[in-house]
Amino acid sequence: MSSSYPKPAIDEDNKPFWDAVRNRKFVLMQCRKCGAWYWPAAYCRNHANQPFYGSLEWREASGRGKVFAYNVHHRAFDPAFKTDLPYVYALIELEEGPMFGTNIVGCDPGDVSIGMDVEIRFIERGGALLPVFGPKG
Amino acid sequence: MSGALKDKFAIVGVGLLAGRFEDRSFRTLQTEAARLAIEDAGLAVNDVDGAIDLKIAPGAGDVPSPTDAFPRVLGLPCRMFFQVSRGGTASIVGVLAATKFLELGMANYVVLASGTKDYSRSRVARRTGNTSIGVMERAGYWGKPFGDLAAMSHHTFFAARHMHEFGTKKEQFGEISVAIRGWAQSNPLAQFHGRPLTLSEYMDAPPLVWPYNIFDACVVSDGGFAIVLTTAERAKDLARKPVYVSGAGVGEAMGQLWWDKANYTRLAVQTARETAFREAEIGLADLDFAGLYDCFTAEVLFQLEDYGWCKKGEGGAFVEGGRIGPGGEVAINTSGGLLSAYHLGEQTHVAEAIMQLRGEAGERQVANARIGLVTGHGGEILSPGMCSTHACMILSN
Ligand SMILES: [Zn+2]
Repeated sequence: MSSSYPKPAIDEDNKPFWDAVRNRKFVLMQCRKCGAWYWPAAYCRNHANQPFYGSLEWREASGRGKVFAYNVHHRAFDPAFKTDLPYVYALIELEEGPMFGTNIVGCDPGDVSIGMDVEIRFIERGGALLPVFGPKG
Repeated sequence: MSGALKDKFAIVGVGLLAGRFEDRSFRTLQTEAARLAIEDAGLAVNDVDGAIDLKIAPGAGDVPSPTDAFPRVLGLPCRMFFQVSRGGTASIVGVLAATKFLELGMANYVVLASGTKDYSRSRVARRTGNTSIGVMERAGYWGKPFGDLAAMSHHTFFAARHMHEFGTKKEQFGEISVAIRGWAQSNPLAQFHGRPLTLSEYMDAPPLVWPYNIFDACVVSDGGFAIVLTTAERAKDLARKPVYVSGAGVGEAMGQLWWDKANYTRLAVQTARETAFREAEIGLADLDFAGLYDCFTAEVLFQLEDYGWCKKGEGGAFVEGGRIGPGGEVAINTSGGLLSAYHLGEQTHVAEAIMQLRGEAGERQVANARIGLVTGHGGEILSPGMCSTHACMILSN
């Protein structure tokens, strides 16, 4: 059975994020009042909020971080990923603070380690641009 | 607050179906489990006036929303009915909710029931070649385009972090898998009954999602589970030895998921544990057995630490030498658990605790079992967010 890659699940809350990705920009939500960064969308935890996300806005982030945890997939639970095996799925601790789940590309899975410095890359997969990370440098 | 719950309510009947039921709907399995539980209690369907639908939501994702309900199928004259979900904590949250209805006199006997067809669904998924969460999970799931396609796709982060922070070894996760498989050998209902596992077999298995292999993951099952809950006073007159709810508690980590990075090496046990043990007025040493939610091996290791059997970071060393298996120092997951017996969420452990406390656990009966702990967790808030909720219940006879 032929199969295509799952598409990003875009909704009202994360649409600005995916719109930015289409322009190869990596954005997070930042609070204008106190500077705290959030991902995914959240009300600021540090003080009372204006209606909806009134005091926060999507801003371009550094696109840098460290590998916080990772795994190596040796099975494609969806056949679309068969040719990607083995692939690394990781939690990135972004420089701004939030955690971000994505793939590590551009190196052998055996060379990935916790604490490794990584930076943003954009890859095309199944007709969508995706924010992934690769070794810094 | 101690004393509001302790031994004031009791489980007086249980119904359990586990295995493969391709030809039955989940609703029928749920209904049959409810019928069995009511019969087990020595009650008639007409006596039971409250019903709670426990939504089992294991890693496979959302269960189809119902267009019908088990009390209707069973002809239960219920005065109240609602649904409870929240990952693998539904029955504990459900019991807590039911106690209030009983206390207020809005129900005299409450039946709580669940059904699942996850085994059958997994067979269908396998035939199509796509066993991913994308087939079953709601649209909002973050990780799909990145290949976060199964519970193992992110639960492995728990194991990877623990290995990184504390030097926990692959073999030590293996010890957990082997020990719980050992218990399954004396449970005829267990899916791995008659199929023991050795540590070298575990170590030789190829990685599925490193650091996990197939033996780190729970089974999937078809089945149904139900209990009847009533007041301790009414329980005295019924057919079975009552199993008392001595304490229960819930914990929630969703407020800290993203910034409290310790959440990747512990579960939201603390408030659940403190509430339940304070209510029951016991300590860990008073437990005769425990059923710890074991969707994967690392969750067992975390809970051994979080409940205080050993210190944080020392779980790996603790499980060595078969300490939690048959004949070991502490009796953990005596049914064979979700890893080796059957997966009805935390209700796998509730069922086993009732059997142990009624002295019906056969070959694996813990001698003189008086007090047992059951735990559940789950409720993945946002991929790759972790299971943010945890609940526990202390049962006694
Ligand atoms: Zn702020």
